[in-house]
Amino acid sequence: MPRAIVLNQADNVATLLDAGRAGEPCTLQGEASGQMTLLQDVPFGHKVCIADTPQSADVLKYGQVIGRASRNLKAGEHMHVHNIESTRARGDLEKR
Amino acid sequence: MAMTFLGYRRENDAVGVRNWVAVISVMDNCNPVTRTIAQTVSGCIPVTTLFVRGQFGADLDFAYESLAGLGRNPNVAAVLLVGLEDSSTEEVARRIRTTGKPVETVHLQPNGTIDCIAAGTRKALKLSLAASRARREPCPVSALVLGVECGGSDTTSGLSCNPAIGRLADRVIEAGGTIIISETSEFIGAEHLFAERAVDDSVRDAFVKAVRGMENLAIERGVDMRESQPSPDNKRGGLTTVEEKALGAMAKAGSSPLVGVLRYGEAPVKKGLHFMDAPAAAVENLSALAAGGCQLTFFGTGVGNPIGSMVAPTVKVCGNVNTLETMADNIDFDASGILEKGQKISDVGDRLYAYAMDVASGTRLSSEILDIRETAISRFALSL
Repeated sequence: MPRAIVLNQADNVATLLDAGRAGEPCTLQGEASGQMTLLQDVPFGHKVCIADTPQSADVLKYGQVIGRASRNLKAGEHMHVHNIESTRARGDLEKR
Repeated sequence: MAMTFLGYRRENDAVGVRNWVAVISVMDNCNPVTRTIAQTVSGCIPVTTLFVRGQFGADLDFAYESLAGLGRNPNVAAVLLVGLEDSSTEEVARRIRTTGKPVETVHLQPNGTIDCIAAGTRKALKLSLAASRARREPCPVSALVLGVECGGSDTTSGLSCNPAIGRLADRVIEAGGTIIISETSEFIGAEHLFAERAVDDSVRDAFVKAVRGMENLAIERGVDMRESQPSPDNKRGGLTTVEEKALGAMAKAGSSPLVGVLRYGEAPVKKGLHFMDAPAAAVENLSALAAGGCQLTFFGTGVGNPIGSMVAPTVKVCGNVNTLETMADNIDFDASGILEKGQKISDVGDRLYAYAMDVASGTRLSSEILDIRETAISRFALSL
Protein backbone atom coordinates (compact mmCIF):
# COMPACT_ATOMS: atom_id res chain seq x y z
CA MET A 1 0.00 0.00 0.00
CA PRO A 2 1.48 3.42 -0.89
CA ARG A 3 2.59 5.59 2.04
CA ALA A 4 1.58 9.24 2.42
CA ILE A 5 3.21 11.52 5.00
CA VAL A 6 1.35 14.28 6.83
CA LEU A 7 3.72 16.92 8.27
CA ASN A 8 1.40 18.91 10.53
CA GLN A 9 -1.98 18.22 12.10
CA ALA A 10 -3.40 21.34 10.44
CA ASP A 11 -2.43 20.18 6.93
CA ASN A 12 -5.00 19.41 4.27
CA VAL A 13 -2.44 17.62 2.07
CA ALA A 14 -0.24 14.56 2.43
CA THR A 15 2.83 13.73 0.33
CA LEU A 16 2.98 10.32 -1.36
CA LEU A 17 6.19 8.43 -0.57
CA ASP A 18 5.26 5.78 -3.16
CA ALA A 19 3.33 6.12 -6.40
CA GLY A 20 -0.39 5.41 -5.95
CA ARG A 21 -3.14 4.29 -8.34
CA ALA A 22 -6.73 5.55 -8.58
CA GLY A 23 -9.01 3.56 -6.27
CA GLU A 24 -6.10 2.36 -4.14
CA PRO A 25 -6.01 3.17 -0.41
CA CYS A 26 -2.84 4.85 0.92
CA THR A 27 -1.56 4.71 4.50
CA LEU A 28 -1.24 8.03 6.27
CA GLN A 29 1.82 8.44 8.48
CA GLY A 30 3.59 11.23 10.32
CA GLU A 31 1.12 13.60 12.00
CA ALA A 32 -1.93 11.57 10.92
CA SER A 33 -2.91 7.93 10.73
CA GLY A 34 -5.50 5.82 8.94
CA GLN A 35 -6.12 5.40 5.26
CA MET A 36 -7.24 7.57 2.37
CA THR A 37 -8.55 6.24 -0.93
CA LEU A 38 -6.94 7.92 -3.94
CA LEU A 39 -9.42 9.31 -6.46
CA GLN A 40 -6.76 9.59 -9.19
CA ASP A 41 -3.30 8.20 -9.89
CA VAL A 42 -0.79 10.16 -7.79
CA PRO A 43 2.92 10.02 -8.77
CA PHE A 44 5.75 9.53 -6.25
CA GLY A 45 6.31 12.72 -4.26
CA HIS A 46 3.05 14.35 -5.33
CA LYS A 47 0.31 15.42 -2.94
CA VAL A 48 -3.11 14.07 -2.09
CA CYS A 49 -5.93 16.07 -0.49
CA ILE A 50 -6.78 14.65 2.96
CA ALA A 51 -9.66 16.99 3.91
CA ASP A 52 -12.34 18.50 1.67
CA THR A 53 -11.19 22.05 0.83
CA PRO A 54 -13.40 24.75 -0.73
CA GLN A 55 -12.24 26.95 -3.59
CA SER A 56 -9.95 29.85 -2.48
CA ALA A 57 -9.23 28.22 0.90
CA ASP A 58 -5.62 27.97 2.04
CA VAL A 59 -3.69 24.81 1.24
CA LEU A 60 -1.52 23.87 4.22
CA LYS A 61 1.65 21.75 4.32
CA TYR A 62 4.19 21.89 7.18
CA GLY A 63 1.34 23.73 8.92
CA GLN A 64 2.07 26.65 6.58
CA VAL A 65 0.24 28.15 3.60
CA ILE A 66 1.64 26.84 0.31
CA GLY A 67 -1.09 28.38 -1.87
CA ARG A 68 -4.86 28.37 -2.29
CA ALA A 69 -7.34 25.93 -3.79
CA SER A 70 -8.21 27.05 -7.31
CA ARG A 71 -11.43 25.00 -7.12
CA ASN A 72 -13.37 22.86 -4.64
CA LEU A 73 -11.25 19.88 -3.63
CA LYS A 74 -12.28 16.50 -2.31
CA ALA A 75 -10.28 14.30 0.03
CA GLY A 76 -8.42 11.73 -2.08
CA GLU A 77 -7.80 14.08 -5.04
CA HIS A 78 -4.35 14.55 -6.56
CA MET A 79 -3.30 18.09 -5.63
CA HIS A 80 -0.87 19.97 -7.82
CA VAL A 81 -0.59 22.95 -10.17
CA HIS A 82 -4.00 22.16 -11.72
CA ASN A 83 -5.88 22.81 -8.45
CA ILE A 84 -3.49 24.76 -6.16
CA GLU A 85 -2.18 28.18 -7.07
CA SER A 86 0.58 30.29 -5.62
CA THR A 87 -0.35 33.66 -4.17
CA ARG A 88 3.17 35.12 -4.28
CA ALA A 89 5.12 37.05 -6.93
CA ARG A 90 2.03 37.13 -9.14
CA GLY A 91 2.85 40.00 -11.49
CA ASP A 92 0.24 38.58 -13.85
CA LEU A 93 -2.53 39.30 -11.31
CA GLU A 94 -1.30 42.84 -10.56
CA LYS A 95 -1.41 43.64 -14.27
CA ARG A 96 -5.08 42.71 -14.73
CA MET B 1 36.26 16.07 21.82
CA ALA B 2 35.94 18.82 19.25
CA MET B 3 35.94 17.71 15.64
CA THR B 4 38.80 18.83 13.44
CA PHE B 5 39.61 18.43 9.78
CA LEU B 6 42.85 18.52 7.83
CA GLY B 7 43.12 21.78 5.94
CA TYR B 8 45.65 24.12 4.36
CA ARG B 9 46.39 27.15 6.50
CA ARG B 10 46.88 30.22 4.32
CA GLU B 11 48.92 33.42 4.69
CA ASN B 12 45.91 35.30 6.11
CA ASP B 13 44.98 32.47 8.54
CA ALA B 14 42.05 31.37 6.38
CA VAL B 15 41.93 27.61 5.85
CA GLY B 16 41.55 25.89 2.50
CA VAL B 17 40.09 22.42 2.00
CA ARG B 18 41.68 22.18 -1.45
CA ASN B 19 44.99 23.45 -2.71
CA TRP B 20 44.55 24.68 -6.24
CA VAL B 21 46.23 27.19 -8.47
CA ALA B 22 43.30 29.11 -9.96
CA VAL B 23 43.79 30.30 -13.53
CA ILE B 24 41.25 33.11 -13.72
CA SER B 25 40.00 34.99 -16.78
CA VAL B 26 39.71 38.72 -16.25
CA MET B 27 37.17 38.86 -19.10
CA ASP B 28 35.48 36.56 -21.58
CA ASN B 29 38.00 37.02 -24.40
CA CYS B 30 40.67 35.33 -22.22
CA ASN B 31 38.74 32.11 -21.60
CA PRO B 32 40.38 30.00 -24.34
CA VAL B 33 43.84 30.78 -22.93
CA THR B 34 42.66 30.16 -19.35
CA ARG B 35 41.32 26.72 -20.29
CA THR B 36 44.45 25.77 -22.23
CA ILE B 37 46.81 26.66 -19.37
CA ALA B 38 44.65 24.92 -16.75
CA GLN B 39 44.49 21.77 -18.90
CA THR B 40 48.25 21.77 -19.43
CA VAL B 41 49.40 22.30 -15.84
CA SER B 42 48.22 19.82 -13.22
CA GLY B 43 47.01 21.28 -9.95
CA CYS B 44 45.20 24.10 -11.75
CA ILE B 45 41.49 24.87 -12.07
CA PRO B 46 40.14 27.15 -14.81
CA VAL B 47 37.87 29.95 -13.60
CA THR B 48 36.23 31.40 -16.68
CA THR B 49 33.76 34.24 -16.91
CA LEU B 50 31.46 35.94 -19.40
CA PHE B 51 31.46 39.62 -20.35
CA VAL B 52 33.41 42.10 -18.12
CA ARG B 53 34.73 43.82 -21.26
CA GLY B 54 32.20 46.59 -21.84
CA GLN B 55 30.80 46.55 -18.32
CA PHE B 56 31.11 49.87 -16.53
CA GLY B 57 30.51 51.67 -13.28
CA ALA B 58 29.07 49.71 -10.38
CA ASP B 59 28.42 46.72 -12.65
CA LEU B 60 32.11 46.52 -13.61
CA ASP B 61 33.21 46.92 -10.01
CA PHE B 62 30.87 44.09 -9.09
CA ALA B 63 32.37 41.84 -11.80
CA TYR B 64 35.94 42.58 -10.66
CA GLU B 65 35.01 42.03 -7.03
CA SER B 66 33.35 38.69 -7.79
CA LEU B 67 36.36 37.44 -9.77
CA ALA B 68 38.66 38.64 -7.00
CA GLY B 69 36.47 36.87 -4.42
CA LEU B 70 36.98 33.60 -6.26
CA GLY B 71 40.73 34.26 -6.26
CA ARG B 72 40.71 35.10 -2.55
CA ASN B 73 38.88 31.86 -1.69
CA PRO B 74 41.13 29.90 0.70
CA ASN B 75 40.89 26.77 -1.49
CA VAL B 76 43.07 28.72 -3.89
CA ALA B 77 46.78 28.58 -3.02
CA ALA B 78 47.87 30.92 -5.78
CA VAL B 79 46.36 32.75 -8.75
CA LEU B 80 47.33 33.21 -12.36
CA LEU B 81 45.21 35.96 -13.91
CA VAL B 82 44.77 35.89 -17.66
CA GLY B 83 43.88 39.31 -19.01
CA LEU B 84 43.57 41.15 -22.28
CA GLU B 85 45.64 44.09 -21.15
CA ASP B 86 47.46 45.33 -18.11
CA SER B 87 45.17 47.81 -16.33
CA SER B 88 42.05 45.65 -15.95
CA THR B 89 44.20 42.68 -14.96
CA GLU B 90 45.97 44.71 -12.28
CA GLU B 91 42.62 45.89 -10.96
CA VAL B 92 41.66 42.30 -10.16
CA ALA B 93 45.17 41.31 -9.03
CA ARG B 94 45.26 44.18 -6.52
CA ARG B 95 42.05 42.94 -4.89
CA ILE B 96 43.37 39.37 -4.52
CA ARG B 97 46.82 40.35 -3.22
CA THR B 98 45.24 41.57 0.04
CA THR B 99 45.25 37.90 1.10
CA GLY B 100 49.02 37.68 0.77
CA LYS B 101 48.82 34.75 -1.66
CA PRO B 102 50.95 34.69 -4.82
CA VAL B 103 49.22 36.37 -7.78
CA GLU B 104 50.80 36.27 -11.25
CA THR B 105 49.45 37.83 -14.43
CA VAL B 106 49.73 37.36 -18.19
CA HIS B 107 48.16 39.39 -21.02
CA LEU B 108 47.08 38.72 -24.57
CA GLN B 109 48.33 42.15 -25.67
CA PRO B 110 50.71 42.78 -27.30
CA ASN B 111 52.12 39.36 -28.25
CA GLY B 112 49.00 37.28 -28.87
CA THR B 113 47.65 33.90 -27.93
CA ILE B 114 50.61 31.56 -28.34
CA ASP B 115 53.07 33.73 -26.41
CA CYS B 116 50.45 34.32 -23.71
CA ILE B 117 49.82 30.58 -23.33
CA ALA B 118 53.57 29.90 -23.17
CA ALA B 119 54.22 32.59 -20.56
CA GLY B 120 51.15 31.59 -18.56
CA THR B 121 52.04 27.91 -18.64
CA ARG B 122 55.52 28.65 -17.25
CA LYS B 123 54.09 30.82 -14.48
CA ALA B 124 51.44 28.22 -13.64
CA LEU B 125 54.11 25.50 -13.51
CA LYS B 126 56.03 27.46 -10.87
CA LEU B 127 52.90 28.29 -8.88
CA SER B 128 51.72 24.68 -8.97
CA LEU B 129 55.11 23.41 -7.83
CA ALA B 130 55.19 25.90 -4.95
CA ALA B 131 51.59 25.09 -3.95
CA SER B 132 52.42 21.38 -3.79
CA ARG B 133 54.73 22.11 -0.85
CA ALA B 134 51.73 22.98 1.35
CA ARG B 135 50.71 20.29 3.85
CA ARG B 136 47.37 19.66 5.50
CA GLU B 137 47.22 20.19 9.26
CA PRO B 138 44.48 19.75 11.87
CA CYS B 139 42.14 22.76 11.82
CA PRO B 140 39.07 23.62 13.89
CA VAL B 141 35.54 23.53 12.46
CA SER B 142 35.34 27.23 13.33
CA ALA B 143 37.55 27.85 10.28
CA LEU B 144 34.85 26.54 7.95
CA VAL B 145 32.45 28.67 5.93
CA LEU B 146 29.98 26.33 4.26
CA GLY B 147 27.40 27.25 1.65
CA VAL B 148 24.04 25.48 1.69
CA GLU B 149 22.03 25.35 -1.49
CA CYS B 150 19.49 23.19 -3.29
CA GLY B 151 18.64 22.45 -6.90
CA GLY B 152 16.57 20.01 -8.86
CA SER B 153 14.36 20.03 -5.77
CA ASP B 154 11.27 17.92 -5.29
CA THR B 155 9.05 17.11 -2.33
CA THR B 156 11.65 14.72 -0.89
CA SER B 157 14.08 17.68 -0.61
CA GLY B 158 12.17 19.44 2.16
CA LEU B 159 11.67 16.16 4.02
CA SER B 160 15.10 14.53 3.81
CA CYS B 161 18.22 16.06 2.22
CA ASN B 162 17.52 19.69 3.20
CA PRO B 163 16.77 19.01 6.90
CA ALA B 164 19.85 16.72 7.02
CA ILE B 165 21.90 19.64 5.68
CA GLY B 166 20.16 21.80 8.32
CA ARG B 167 21.41 19.49 11.04
CA LEU B 168 24.93 19.75 9.60
CA ALA B 169 24.53 23.56 9.60
CA ASP B 170 23.56 23.57 13.28
CA ARG B 171 26.51 21.33 14.19
CA VAL B 172 28.98 23.53 12.29
CA ILE B 173 27.61 26.69 13.94
CA GLU B 174 27.70 25.05 17.39
CA ALA B 175 31.38 24.36 16.75
CA GLY B 176 31.98 28.05 15.96
CA GLY B 177 31.79 27.84 12.17
CA THR B 178 29.82 29.77 9.56
CA ILE B 179 26.96 28.81 7.22
CA ILE B 180 25.68 30.83 4.27
CA ILE B 181 22.23 30.18 2.81
CA SER B 182 21.21 32.13 -0.28
CA GLU B 183 18.81 31.78 -3.24
CA THR B 184 16.68 34.83 -2.48
CA SER B 185 13.69 33.92 -4.67
CA GLU B 186 13.42 30.58 -2.90
CA PHE B 187 12.50 32.29 0.36
CA ILE B 188 9.27 33.69 -1.08
CA GLY B 189 6.56 32.18 1.08
CA ALA B 190 8.83 31.22 3.98
CA GLU B 191 10.48 34.57 4.73
CA HIS B 192 8.13 35.33 7.63
CA LEU B 193 9.46 32.28 9.48
CA PHE B 194 13.13 32.88 8.67
CA ALA B 195 12.90 36.61 9.51
CA GLU B 196 11.92 35.68 13.09
CA ARG B 197 15.36 34.15 13.52
CA ALA B 198 17.22 37.43 12.86
CA VAL B 199 19.33 38.56 15.81
CA ASP B 200 18.19 42.18 15.50
CA ASP B 201 15.94 44.53 13.54
CA SER B 202 18.60 45.60 11.05
CA VAL B 203 19.37 42.00 10.06
CA ARG B 204 15.68 41.19 9.83
CA ASP B 205 14.91 44.26 7.74
CA ALA B 206 17.82 43.59 5.36
CA PHE B 207 16.68 40.01 4.85
CA VAL B 208 13.01 40.89 4.29
CA LYS B 209 13.99 43.73 1.96
CA ALA B 210 16.01 41.33 -0.20
CA VAL B 211 13.15 38.83 -0.51
CA ARG B 212 10.53 41.53 -1.14
CA GLY B 213 12.85 43.08 -3.72
CA MET B 214 12.97 39.80 -5.61
CA GLU B 215 9.21 39.37 -5.43
CA ASN B 216 8.69 42.95 -6.62
CA LEU B 217 10.93 42.25 -9.59
CA ALA B 218 8.39 39.67 -10.78
CA ILE B 219 5.45 41.93 -9.97
CA GLU B 220 6.94 45.00 -11.68
CA ARG B 221 7.61 43.04 -14.83
CA GLY B 222 4.00 41.94 -14.80
CA VAL B 223 5.04 38.31 -15.01
CA ASP B 224 3.82 35.22 -13.28
CA MET B 225 6.86 33.84 -11.50
CA ARG B 226 5.29 30.39 -11.66
CA GLU B 227 6.90 29.98 -15.09
CA SER B 228 10.31 29.57 -13.44
CA GLN B 229 9.58 29.05 -9.73
CA PRO B 230 9.02 26.20 -9.22
CA SER B 231 10.90 25.02 -12.33
CA PRO B 232 9.41 22.36 -14.62
CA ASP B 233 11.49 19.58 -13.00
CA ASN B 234 10.47 20.79 -9.51
CA LYS B 235 6.84 20.44 -10.60
CA ARG B 236 7.39 16.97 -12.01
CA GLY B 237 8.84 16.13 -8.61
CA GLY B 238 5.61 17.22 -6.94
CA LEU B 239 6.44 20.79 -5.84
CA THR B 240 3.41 22.91 -6.65
CA THR B 241 4.19 26.47 -5.55
CA VAL B 242 7.18 28.63 -4.65
CA GLU B 243 5.83 28.79 -1.09
CA GLU B 244 6.02 25.00 -0.80
CA LYS B 245 9.51 24.98 -2.31
CA ALA B 246 10.67 27.76 0.01
CA LEU B 247 9.42 26.00 3.15
CA GLY B 248 11.44 22.93 2.16
CA ALA B 249 14.49 24.94 1.05
CA MET B 250 14.67 26.85 4.34
CA ALA B 251 15.27 23.56 6.18
CA LYS B 252 18.90 23.72 4.95
CA ALA B 253 19.53 26.58 7.36
CA GLY B 254 18.83 24.42 10.44
CA SER B 255 17.60 26.28 13.49
CA SER B 256 20.40 28.74 14.35
CA PRO B 257 19.83 32.49 14.64
CA LEU B 258 20.45 34.62 11.53
CA VAL B 259 23.39 36.89 12.34
CA GLY B 260 24.06 38.68 9.06
CA VAL B 261 22.90 39.52 5.53
CA LEU B 262 25.51 39.57 2.77
CA ARG B 263 25.56 41.16 -0.67
CA TYR B 264 26.24 38.93 -3.66
CA GLY B 265 29.71 37.41 -3.26
CA GLU B 266 30.40 39.24 0.00
CA ALA B 267 32.52 37.40 2.59
CA PRO B 268 31.12 37.19 6.13
CA VAL B 269 33.12 38.83 8.92
CA LYS B 270 31.10 37.20 11.72
CA LYS B 271 30.63 33.54 12.58
CA GLY B 272 27.23 31.87 12.49
CA LEU B 273 24.32 31.74 10.05
CA HIS B 274 24.27 34.26 7.20
CA PHE B 275 21.95 34.95 4.29
CA MET B 276 23.45 36.03 0.95
CA ASP B 277 21.22 37.92 -1.49
CA ALA B 278 21.91 36.20 -4.82
CA PRO B 279 20.01 34.58 -7.70
CA ALA B 280 18.94 30.98 -7.13
CA ALA B 281 20.09 29.14 -10.26
CA ALA B 282 22.69 26.54 -9.26
CA VAL B 283 25.83 27.67 -11.10
CA GLU B 284 25.15 31.34 -10.44
CA ASN B 285 24.46 30.76 -6.76
CA LEU B 286 27.40 28.39 -6.19
CA SER B 287 29.67 31.00 -7.80
CA ALA B 288 28.35 33.69 -5.45
CA LEU B 289 28.92 31.44 -2.41
CA ALA B 290 32.46 30.61 -3.58
CA ALA B 291 33.21 34.31 -4.15
CA GLY B 292 32.05 34.90 -0.57
CA GLY B 293 34.71 32.49 0.70
CA CYS B 294 32.81 29.22 1.18
CA GLN B 295 35.25 26.32 1.13
CA LEU B 296 32.51 23.75 0.49
CA THR B 297 28.93 23.89 -0.72
CA PHE B 298 26.25 21.40 0.35
CA PHE B 299 23.64 20.89 -2.32
CA GLY B 300 20.35 19.15 -1.58
CA THR B 301 18.71 17.61 -4.61
CA GLY B 302 15.56 15.62 -5.25
CA VAL B 303 15.16 14.95 -8.97
CA GLY B 304 18.89 15.55 -9.43
CA ASN B 305 21.16 18.36 -10.62
CA PRO B 306 24.78 17.27 -11.21
CA ILE B 307 26.64 20.59 -11.56
CA GLY B 308 29.30 21.56 -9.05
CA SER B 309 31.25 24.68 -8.15
CA MET B 310 34.75 25.05 -9.56
CA VAL B 311 36.17 26.74 -6.47
CA ALA B 312 33.99 25.51 -3.56
CA PRO B 313 33.51 21.74 -4.09
CA THR B 314 29.85 20.74 -4.09
CA VAL B 315 28.52 17.87 -1.98
CA LYS B 316 25.40 16.43 -3.60
CA VAL B 317 22.98 15.20 -0.95
CA CYS B 318 19.86 13.31 -2.06
CA GLY B 319 16.96 11.68 -0.21
CA ASN B 320 14.96 10.54 -3.25
CA VAL B 321 15.34 6.77 -3.56
CA ASN B 322 14.55 6.86 -7.30
CA THR B 323 17.15 9.53 -8.12
CA LEU B 324 19.73 7.70 -6.02
CA GLU B 325 19.29 4.84 -8.46
CA THR B 326 19.02 6.72 -11.76
CA MET B 327 21.66 9.41 -11.03
CA ALA B 328 23.88 7.47 -8.63
CA ASP B 329 27.03 8.74 -10.40
CA ASN B 330 26.17 12.31 -9.46
CA ILE B 331 25.22 11.88 -5.80
CA ASP B 332 27.79 12.00 -2.99
CA PHE B 333 25.60 11.39 0.06
CA ASP B 334 22.52 9.17 0.44
CA ALA B 335 19.88 10.63 2.79
CA SER B 336 17.07 8.32 1.63
CA GLY B 337 17.02 6.41 4.93
CA ILE B 338 14.90 9.25 6.35
CA LEU B 339 11.91 8.48 4.12
CA GLU B 340 12.62 4.83 3.31
CA LYS B 341 13.78 3.42 6.64
CA GLY B 342 12.44 5.88 9.19
CA GLN B 343 15.95 7.06 10.11
CA LYS B 344 16.06 10.21 12.24
CA ILE B 345 16.99 13.46 10.49
CA SER B 346 19.44 14.14 13.34
CA ASP B 347 21.20 10.79 12.82
CA VAL B 348 21.50 11.25 9.07
CA GLY B 349 22.61 14.86 9.61
CA ASP B 350 25.28 13.72 12.07
CA ARG B 351 26.53 11.23 9.49
CA LEU B 352 26.61 14.08 6.96
CA TYR B 353 28.66 16.16 9.43
CA ALA B 354 31.23 13.37 9.76
CA TYR B 355 31.32 13.07 5.96
CA ALA B 356 31.77 16.85 5.70
CA MET B 357 34.93 16.56 7.80
CA ASP B 358 36.22 13.84 5.45
CA VAL B 359 35.50 15.99 2.41
CA ALA B 360 37.11 19.02 4.07
CA SER B 361 40.15 16.81 4.70
CA GLY B 362 40.46 15.84 1.05
CA THR B 363 37.91 13.14 0.18
CA ARG B 364 36.91 14.00 -3.37
CA LEU B 365 33.42 14.49 -4.76
CA SER B 366 31.74 13.21 -7.89
CA SER B 367 31.67 16.65 -9.56
CA GLU B 368 35.41 17.08 -8.92
CA ILE B 369 36.39 13.66 -10.22
CA LEU B 370 34.15 13.86 -13.29
CA ASP B 371 35.03 17.56 -13.72
CA ILE B 372 31.40 18.67 -14.00
CA ARG B 373 32.11 22.13 -12.65
CA GLU B 374 31.20 25.57 -13.89
CA THR B 375 31.40 29.24 -12.94
CA ALA B 376 28.83 31.96 -13.71
CA ILE B 377 29.01 35.42 -12.19
CA SER B 378 25.69 37.26 -12.22
CA ARG B 379 25.38 40.62 -13.89
CA PHE B 380 22.82 43.24 -13.18
CA ALA B 381 23.23 45.79 -15.98
CA LEU B 382 23.82 45.92 -19.73
CA SER B 383 27.24 46.65 -21.23
CA LEU B 384 28.06 49.78 -23.20
